[in-house]
Amino acid sequence: MSQHVRNGWYLGAWSHEIGRTLKQRWITDMPVCFYRLPDQTVTAVEDRCPHRKYPLSLGHLDDEGTLQCDYHGYRFDGRGACVGVAEQTDRPKAALRRFPLVERDGAIWIWPGDPELADESLLPDTSWLNDPGWTHVHGVVPLKARHLLLLENLLDLTHETFLHPTSIGNAAVAATPIDVTVDGDRVGFSRRMTGIEAPPFYEKSCGLTSPVDRWQDGEFHPPGVFILHIRVAATGTEEPEGFHMRVLYGMTPARGNETHDFYALGRDYLIDDEELTTFQHEQQLAVMQEDVDALEAQELMYATDPGGTAESSIKSDLAALRGRRSLMKMLAREQHGQPGQQGDRTARPTESV
Amino acid sequence: MTDPSAAVLDTLTTTEAGTASRHEAGFDGTLVVLSRRNVAAGVVSLELGPRSGEGEGGGEGEGEPLPAWRPGAHIDVVLPTGITRQYSLCGPAGHTSRWRIAVLREPDGRGGSQWIHDNVHEGTELRVRGPRNNFPLRPAARYLFVGGGIGITPLLPMIAEAEAAGADWSLLYGGRTHASMAFLPELEPYGERVDVRPQDQHGLPDLAGFLGDPDPSALVYCCGPAGLIDAVEARCASWPAGSLNVERFAAVTGQQPVGGENNPPIEVELRASGMTLTVPPQLSVLKAVEHAGVPVLSSCEEGICGSCETAVIEGEIDHRDSLLTEDERAAGDTMLICVSRARGGRLVLDL
Ligand code: FES
Ligand code: FES
Ligand SMILES: [Fe+2]
Repeated sequence: MSQHVRNGWYLGAWSHEIGRTLKQRWITDMPVCFYRLPDQTVTAVEDRCPHRKYPLSLGHLDDEGTLQCDYHGYRFDGRGACVGVAEQTDRPKAALRRFPLVERDGAIWIWPGDPELADESLLPDTSWLNDPGWTHVHGVVPLKARHLLLLENLLDLTHETFLHPTSIGNAAVAATPIDVTVDGDRVGFSRRMTGIEAPPFYEKSCGLTSPVDRWQDGEFHPPGVFILHIRVAATGTEEPEGFHMRVLYGMTPARGNETHDFYALGRDYLIDDEELTTFQHEQQLAVMQEDVDALEAQELMYATDPGGTAESSIKSDLAALRGRRSLMKMLAREQHGQPGQQGDRTARPTESV
Repeated sequence: MTDPSAAVLDTLTTTEAGTASRHEAGFDGTLVVLSRRNVAAGVVSLELGPRSGEGEGGGEGEGEPLPAWRPGAHIDVVLPTGITRQYSLCGPAGHTSRWRIAVLREPDGRGGSQWIHDNVHEGTELRVRGPRNNFPLRPAARYLFVGGGIGITPLLPMIAEAEAAGADWSLLYGGRTHASMAFLPELEPYGERVDVRPQDQHGLPDLAGFLGDPDPSALVYCCGPAGLIDAVEARCASWPAGSLNVERFAAVTGQQPVGGENNPPIEVELRASGMTLTVPPQLSVLKAVEHAGVPVLSSCEEGICGSCETAVIEGEIDHRDSLLTEDERAAGDTMLICVSRARGGRLVLDL
């Protein structure tokens, strides 16, 4: 049994990554082959030929959208049904497992679990990725660490102070407590920093000088999406005058303790400033590299931990601990044959931490 | 040795998941005080028995027999003031015609022991429940008993049993002064096995010398004030797991940190281990369970990390943690035992 929740939406690919060639990507310990049909609709099938399990992604896609396995020549149509084998007359009974997909706002979402349960309304709002008032950069970074470590990294941004001191972190982050909210399985937090020193990234990105107000509102949409809403403003000017940014992370379990770390960084100001876009993209990748290095170092320690010693936790871990619980509960529900991802309810604040 | 200040005893206990700890139907009714004796400065012993049956021509204590019990058992005495107190049975084990308890006058308590000292005489009727045993004596070749003050009470029947079984045993009995130490005459016949250490003459008892090196063949039983138990626990840290068995008589004094109305003592049944603990106001359920020798994970002890999460089978939870969501709280089937308590005085945990 996979240790990953499968009944839920994961970011499977960015739209631009998938075309008329075959692309393999492991998702929740399953090999998946992505491609587009002639009508441009995107398809994802299990990347194992039903004949002798050869990866279909090593095969060919023809102009009609027929997928051919390059080992013994099984061919599959756009719906995944086998339509023939090489030049033989008998048509084998075989079909490919196809995954529910949604392509929206430049992202391809995949539901690796029970197709019956796939529910589009559970997708987070990503309209800002497609909003003319916004601009963004995006990509995906390979991470050799388990999904949960990335999730906890994002739900506990106090680490910015220590891991990213030259870019987005400074003492104010760790010093400011968070409010945690829980909404069904979703976990949110917010941190309001007012009258603080501007971290270098925001000084350069927004042309601000200290003191600034900086707000972080994080949302974890289990099992695999985290969205951070960032607002930065000169102290005293509140919303809506501030600079708005959003960061989306698709945390998609790959194979074993590896994770696809999808990211998109958007802003709603100076959207035509390409230089700023380049600067922000470089910064984003630099910050993510600091996280990747840390998480891979941490992964080794978890993977080799003989166990028996408890972790220590503090109040700022609350959002991450709640996120961890959400995932564990979804997994438990799934193992009892219930839907993993559950619907929305009205968010309500719980306690300050 | 500090003042055992434990007359008003909220017993809290500790044992390995013991066979003898019980829940079986006990007695719940009225017993009459058959005798009252002063057994030390500030300590009275009471013998309780059923009122003699009508027409049985009966002398005292010849009514229906009381339930049998084993060393370490205690009974609840429900006072007319509404206070319930636990007292160890300290007469001959298994005695079913009368039960003996000893009560230390606790001037700083909430009045239970004072009420008994001032109002209970021969012939007084008291509401009694029990017995229950959270401190059972397990078989061993050798026993080391450590008693402090009134904490001698559960040890007396244990000693009798150890002696009858031919075990190698010894007792270190500490108290404030010789005069404050109860039951010395009953211990005298055991001679060298008993080391009586009033603090005003000998200072603090020499636990290191008494306990010696870890001995896998020995069990340590300790009852008395918290300071003594803590010291014995520290000494026994390197002993094999399960060697040490303690019963805490936590004094209910004016110094409870969060006590009072908000934090009444609660009764916690550990269903899987088959024991029931009384958790005094100043102790967390987690600590109580740990003292009872039941292994539980914990880390933060502040209701944050969730490692002590425990399934609740029955009882209404008073959630005091930071981690659980409102839904989880409302579901009422899980609690973080390091901080949360009970409304309604009783919980059944899946431990
Ligand atoms: S493995 Fe694909 S055709 Fe044989
Ligand atoms: S020990 Fe951390 S919540 Fe109880
Ligand atoms: Fe980071």
